[in-house]
Amino acid sequence: MQFVKKRANTKTEIPTASMPDIIFMLLMFFMTVTTMREVDVLVDFKLPEAKAIEKIESKRLVSYIWVGKDKRMQINDSLVKMEEIENIMFKKKESLPEVIVSLRVDQGSDMGFVTDIQQELRKAYCLRINYSTNVKI
Amino acid sequence: MIKKKKIPEATIPTASMADISFLLLLFFLVSTVMDVDTGLGLTLPEIVEDQIEVKIPPDRMANVLVNENGDVLIDGNVIPVFQIKDMLKSRIASKNNLPKSKKMIVSLKTDRKTIYNVYISALDQIKLAYFEVRNEFSNGKYGKKFNDLNGEQQADVKEVVPIIISIAEPESVKK
Repeated sequence: MQFVKKRANTKTEIPTASMPDIIFMLLMFFMTVTTMREVDVLVDFKLPEAKAIEKIESKRLVSYIWVGKDKRMQINDSLVKMEEIENIMFKKKESLPEVIVSLRVDQGSDMGFVTDIQQELRKAYCLRINYSTNVKI
Repeated sequence: MIKKKKIPEATIPTASMADISFLLLLFFLVSTVMDVDTGLGLTLPEIVEDQIEVKIPPDRMANVLVNENGDVLIDGNVIPVFQIKDMLKSRIASKNNLPKSKKMIVSLKTDRKTIYNVYISALDQIKLAYFEVRNEFSNGKYGKKFNDLNGEQQADVKEVVPIIISIAEPESVKK
């Protein structure tokens, strides 16, 4: 007597019809969270470290000021001088009243320089600032 | 009679749709930067034309001075940077039950030549002291950490332990 192997005759296929929809949803998510505008940072800097850090809720509110090791400053895409900060930042404040200024300052800079920047920011009424730091573990 | 030409079925092939969207997806996956900006937040004071000098009783005020060599002075005592937190914590906590106008003020003052890194670690220590006092208070009252409280409770803790940090201008800026 021969044993007839019993095979299940159910179809073993994964339905792929909804695959494009799923992928599209993922795509939409990544499209919305991606911020395309990557600024070329022209100055060389190393951030200090801190523990009591807070996250900035909204990236759209942030405006950066970079300060490099050689005391050069960068706002947006260009290097700026100390006298120009007030004008540039005042315009930013006008277009975006809730602007948070993130200071990405090299850890070896001296405080006099940072204070000068802060004075300029005060003149431009950009009062919310954030000292950008890395997380200390 | 003219025989009508049979119209071929007009369908768009959708088999490659998944592939195309996969490609797009991969592109956005790669180009997305997920890191959140982290840092120490601070609100600068507004510029006022005529400044009024207000006398603050010395027990309400902690003066943190950082000089150009990175030495820290709190109310006359020289201490290492990492001890600032412990020095301030008890003093901040002791003011929890006092009214709003008697809360602790920490004033941080630097020299123009002070290294930025030292200033950040000092500011970090001061903020840590406040955060730990907040955490201890919320632990005692609600049995939770400050970050796990709801908005109302957080506001309540903030009321009891407000963070007041005064960044004094370095000596030579003042006229």
